[in-house]
Amino acid sequence: MGVFVLLPLVLPLSAWPVARLAAPRLHPRTATRLLTSVAVVMAGCSTLCLALLMVVGTAQLPGNPLPDGWSDPEVRAAVPHDGVAGRAAIPALGAVAVACGRTLLAHRRVIRRARRALAGLPGTTVVVLPDPEPYAYALPGARGGRIVVTTALLSGLAPAERRALFAHERAHLAARHHRHLLAVHLAARANPFLRPLRSAVLYTAERWADEDAARAVGDRRVVARAIGRAALLSAPAPAPARTLAALAATGPVPRRVAALLAPAPAARDRPSLFTGVGAAVWGAAAGAVASAMSSANSAVTLFLILRAAATPL
Amino acid sequence: MATQPRRARRRQGELEGQVLGALREADGPVTAAWVQERLGGDLAYTTVVTILTRLLAKDVVSRERRGRSFVWTPTADVARLAALRMRRLLDGERDRDAVLTSFVTALPPHDEQVLRALLEVADTEAGTPERGAPLGQQGRGQHARGQHAPGQDAPARRSFGTAAGETDT
Repeated sequence: MGVFVLLPLVLPLSAWPVARLAAPRLHPRTATRLLTSVAVVMAGCSTLCLALLMVVGTAQLPGNPLPDGWSDPEVRAAVPHDGVAGRAAIPALGAVAVACGRTLLAHRRVIRRARRALAGLPGTTVVVLPDPEPYAYALPGARGGRIVVTTALLSGLAPAERRALFAHERAHLAARHHRHLLAVHLAARANPFLRPLRSAVLYTAERWADEDAARAVGDRRVVARAIGRAALLSAPAPAPARTLAALAATGPVPRRVAALLAPAPAARDRPSLFTGVGAAVWGAAAGAVASAMSSANSAVTLFLILRAAATPL
Repeated sequence: MATQPRRARRRQGELEGQVLGALREADGPVTAAWVQERLGGDLAYTTVVTILTRLLAKDVVSRERRGRSFVWTPTADVARLAALRMRRLLDGERDRDAVLTSFVTALPPHDEQVLRALLEVADTEAGTPERGAPLGQQGRGQHARGQHAPGQDAPARRSFGTAAGETDT
């Protein structure tokens, strides 16, 4: 096996090109689902690999409760620099556990505090708060969730744009985007190489809601205008205007507006292999699957070696 | 009725709302004892005073001395109280983006220029814009901020946080 055992830890590096290829080219719904699944699989494999390395490492420590067979030379041969790798895996796994635990706790705390903040108001789906700060949030909940929007944001939007805003937030709640986001946040905590996937899913989930909103209100331009207006409402004072720079270097909001001003993305989930877009999509998908497979393969191999060593023959 | 631990957790937020609601139903300034009576039996007097003081710190009630005790007057409604609590949550939680999906994220200055240019193009393509000035030239939040106290928030404040890893694509 040799160095291949460590593959699940570094294969998430492939997330970067995968995210760059898939996010702008796939339909946002497909991209969100694909990238979230890839992130979860890779994070799982990477954590499993860390756990197995830790077993190999701790098996040599005196006084450990593990079976003697787990420190057999055969097992140690499967891991390069087994002593170093094993001992390094212990704090790494601890850090992963702490980071994921904190993310989960923060998730629950935010939901609890948000519900408590809205306690005492009528239980409508849309909550309008009198606040000079323009913002809108989708708050997930047991009964379909709630949409929180301030008077400042609503008064800055035309009626059609308000409909677009509500349609966007409803799309978030209906598709339960917060689950995708929690999954990729946890994955990025489990392996920092997966952070590009988290950023990509944060963006594609917004695009998904944008596309659903555009379908609901029947006008892409209105949704683009609503996003633009809402973003400018909260922007700092305008700087002197310059020429339109390359869109690739800009943040998520202008990219979302530009995507909405362009024609709707193909709803087909499987583009043809013989177009440029199709080749890129299938390349990204194949790359993702290959990374996940080899991650899983390494993890399973290491697991089998350990089990064989632990079972008395 | 909710279960017992759940009630304890939601108690604070609910009580603040209830106390404020009771104050708003009063005809004029009232004492804490009046609020306690109005809310019914199971609340201690000290609890009511604690909650009134908390509401005072949030600037949704005011008080004045009358004789040996204070009388309390509401200065905002329950929705405003909820807005204050929500703002405190949004300002205080760095991890909120994993849970609450914001409509738009913060705009760096460069993004703002690109956005204005994009919307200007959209406006000219669409002919006349829906209302008011073309979006590309619109100032920042005139209609939104005009109706509230202008000095209330510093210009540097941002309502839309950016997720921690959002810039690393």
